[in-house]
Amino acid sequence: MFQTILHREIQETSASPILLFTLVALTILVPLSACIQARYYKFVAEDYNLRQSVHQAENSSQSIVLIRPLPPLAPFFNGVYDSLPDEFRLPIDSATTNTPSGDLIPLDWLFPKIDLSFIIGVLMTLLTILLAHDTIARDRDQGALKLVLASPVRRRLVLAAKLTGVILPVTVVLIYVVSLYTSVVIFFSRGTVALSIANFKALTIFTMVALTVLIASCAIGVAISAAVRQSSVSLFVCASIWIVINLIWPPFGPYVAAIFKTVPTPEAARREIAFKEKDLIRKELAEHRKTANDLEAQQVGVKFAWQRYLELRRKWMERRNKAIGRLVEERKKQISDQQVFARRISLFSPYAAFREVLGNLCGTGLESYDEFLTAAERYKQQEFIPKGFDQLSQQKPWVKGAELEDKLQLPHLQTPAPDLFGRLSAAAWPLSILIAEMIISVALGILIFERSDVR
Amino acid sequence: MLLVWSQIWLITKREITANARNFKILVALMAMTLLSLLSARAMTVDYENRLSNWRVNQDRQRDPAVGGDISYNLADGSFVHGEVFGHTPPIQSPRPFSALIKGMSGEMDRAVNVGQQIVFWARQDEPATSAIFNIPDTSFVIKLLVSLFALMFSFDTVTQEKESGTLRAMMSQPVSRSLVIISKSLGASVSLLAPFTASYFMEIIYLHLAHGLPTGREDLIRALLIFGMASLYGIVFTQIGIFISTITRQTKIAVTTALLTWATIVLILPNAAVLIAKLLTPAPSYNHLNASLYEERKRFLQDEAEADRAARQSTGRIGDQMNLLRLFEIQRQATDDYLTIKKDQNRLARLFAALSPAGALTFGACDLAGTGVDAYNSYLDSFRSDRDVMLDALRRRLDFPGPEADRLLQKAHETTAGSRQRAPSLGASAFSFVISITSLVAWGVFFVFAACWGFRRYDVR
Repeated sequence: MFQTILHREIQETSASPILLFTLVALTILVPLSACIQARYYKFVAEDYNLRQSVHQAENSSQSIVLIRPLPPLAPFFNGVYDSLPDEFRLPIDSATTNTPSGDLIPLDWLFPKIDLSFIIGVLMTLLTILLAHDTIARDRDQGALKLVLASPVRRRLVLAAKLTGVILPVTVVLIYVVSLYTSVVIFFSRGTVALSIANFKALTIFTMVALTVLIASCAIGVAISAAVRQSSVSLFVCASIWIVINLIWPPFGPYVAAIFKTVPTPEAARREIAFKEKDLIRKELAEHRKTANDLEAQQVGVKFAWQRYLELRRKWMERRNKAIGRLVEERKKQISDQQVFARRISLFSPYAAFREVLGNLCGTGLESYDEFLTAAERYKQQEFIPKGFDQLSQQKPWVKGAELEDKLQLPHLQTPAPDLFGRLSAAAWPLSILIAEMIISVALGILIFERSDVR
Repeated sequence: MLLVWSQIWLITKREITANARNFKILVALMAMTLLSLLSARAMTVDYENRLSNWRVNQDRQRDPAVGGDISYNLADGSFVHGEVFGHTPPIQSPRPFSALIKGMSGEMDRAVNVGQQIVFWARQDEPATSAIFNIPDTSFVIKLLVSLFALMFSFDTVTQEKESGTLRAMMSQPVSRSLVIISKSLGASVSLLAPFTASYFMEIIYLHLAHGLPTGREDLIRALLIFGMASLYGIVFTQIGIFISTITRQTKIAVTTALLTWATIVLILPNAAVLIAKLLTPAPSYNHLNASLYEERKRFLQDEAEADRAARQSTGRIGDQMNLLRLFEIQRQATDDYLTIKKDQNRLARLFAALSPAGALTFGACDLAGTGVDAYNSYLDSFRSDRDVMLDALRRRLDFPGPEADRLLQKAHETTAGSRQRAPSLGASAFSFVISITSLVAWGVFFVFAACWGFRRYDVR
């Protein structure tokens, strides 16, 4: 019986004009979007390489520039990569990093880029919910549901067959979309995106997470289909839920969080930090003045004075790092609290949870950004400051033109590159919410269908 | 003639009554009001945060810089320890209208330092969680909900009558088919515009009473023009819905077609248009520009060092001021090229996006609110002219050094620091408004004819 219902459902779904229309639309949209994303990524990669070579030559004992590495799967999910600064100038003395601007991207504020996550999370969930909305309501309208349930078959089995009858064709479409997108990206990126084993594994997980979202959408559609008497009502309710959870709730989430969890404005925070830093600078200058006078009075040699000066400078650097670092950390914590709150609110939407997981998986989320900042701070403490002071101690600034020779050779910044398991562990929270949402949707479908009146 | 008008009125009234009886108007009113007010609350909190940030920034402009040079003068040589710590350069005051339509305001909140170069600092929105979704301002609410409800009021106007059998009865009367379609579209449009008008003005009243926004007569005109454009946008989607109704035989197929069409027109077309515009006008990243400026500076310093060495060996000449001016000129040219590409990219994106109703609405509304492409491009231009003032003063100081030149440079500093870029006037937004309105009218007229054509061939049995 299960097979008969499943067979009928698959036939109904596959012959649906909605599926055919969407397939045609996806066949046009997916290569277009993938091609644009690939070309954009290639452009960004070239830009990155050029900047990397320029900044390598720019590094000195006074400051270095670090560039955020390019996530290999950014064309599949852009995430927040473009929206956050991607270069950081680290001065040797100050605990506050001088963050140069990210790119000027006014258009992205109006129309975020279309990537694979959008195609799946918005368009394919719409397809799924449209296919699922009348699986039961249609049978009830036609009177076929009575006949099916008159036979000795458990309702759960009927529901499972109906769910599977929608999910199987949708899975085929999903695999088609991901394969087409991947092929076009690899072709048009001209080697900047390679289908390595790691990327292939990540894309497989990407597809499985996408399938979870689609199953959740399908289960919502089937549950509503079982709850209402008419197909048109079911469609209206399904479309409304889809719009709220996919299009309305995720954008509102961060703004609602800002209402309930406020943080001081950036300028207010900078003023507080600047107040402290200025105080320390005044004291440091006073000590330098005193030391300079003492050394002059003692009539020591310039080399000795230089070493004495460097000791003093290092002492003040540590003091500033400690005092300012505390304020910077406090600020980071406040922002992080607001972010966590905003993201938790947004996770009510399976689409937002899906994008959270993808951010971890593709390295374009806030976690990857925070990991980079942590790695940059570690790099500063372990590589830049010791080598910077070593170089300073060998310099002779009293010789004219010596500042031009101040070039610091440092090893490349090793940013953390967690394996697939590590990335999934980082995404444990949104992933478990997503799976819970899928289970709740299916359970809701079972519950409603078990209790529904088939007449 | 009188008969025609009475027929139109009868069918229109019937449509409106049907929409009121099956609670569609009520649902639309509740949904639009709820989301408009939520959007108004969220965006005013955002605006007030940005305003408070700007106020602190203004205060900080008066904070004295701390620093100085300490010379270590020893018998066999000397070196200097220098420190300087200032404040963030000025940021632009947020536009009050950005509480209604934020548009590109997030990009215009940057602190920008204008000297012989224009240095853009990072954006002010540190939390950045909102970066991956749309901004939920009024234009977003209109873009989504007005189009959706327009389709809801219109997608089944013909199919439902056919399914219930009333279409045959109606068409057996001496009434032209075009007249029926026009009356039905009038009925659907009125059913949509009534709740939309109520929700939009409730939002404006809330903003005015709770937050004193919008302010002044010009702002009110802007709000009315945005309302007019949004209404036209709604009417376009009403016509699309009626057209879909005339080419489908069942309500179920009509509604799925309407939803898929909506997703294509609202969610895909404008985004794709912007992406294509970006591909056609590839701009280097801002950090790329900075890297190339750094290379120029490095080359200049090396040239200077070599010239200095040679001069000391021969004539005692030190450095060449002409080289410095040449460096400034190269940097100015590179920055101007970059800004020009950015501006062209914005204009092209607006032009392409205006080909779709959602793109036309978004760009048109943003330009009317003073937070769109025109405002952003004039924001970039204002820095260019400030930078030119600074460069001119620097040039004079290099040519004729002395206290008078220093005074001129100081004056240029004060002029540029005090210059406030204002929102483009309503007249300046007229071009964008005309593009958007033309696009919306073209879509509307096209679908009116398409619906009439579709209904003429419609089998009413």
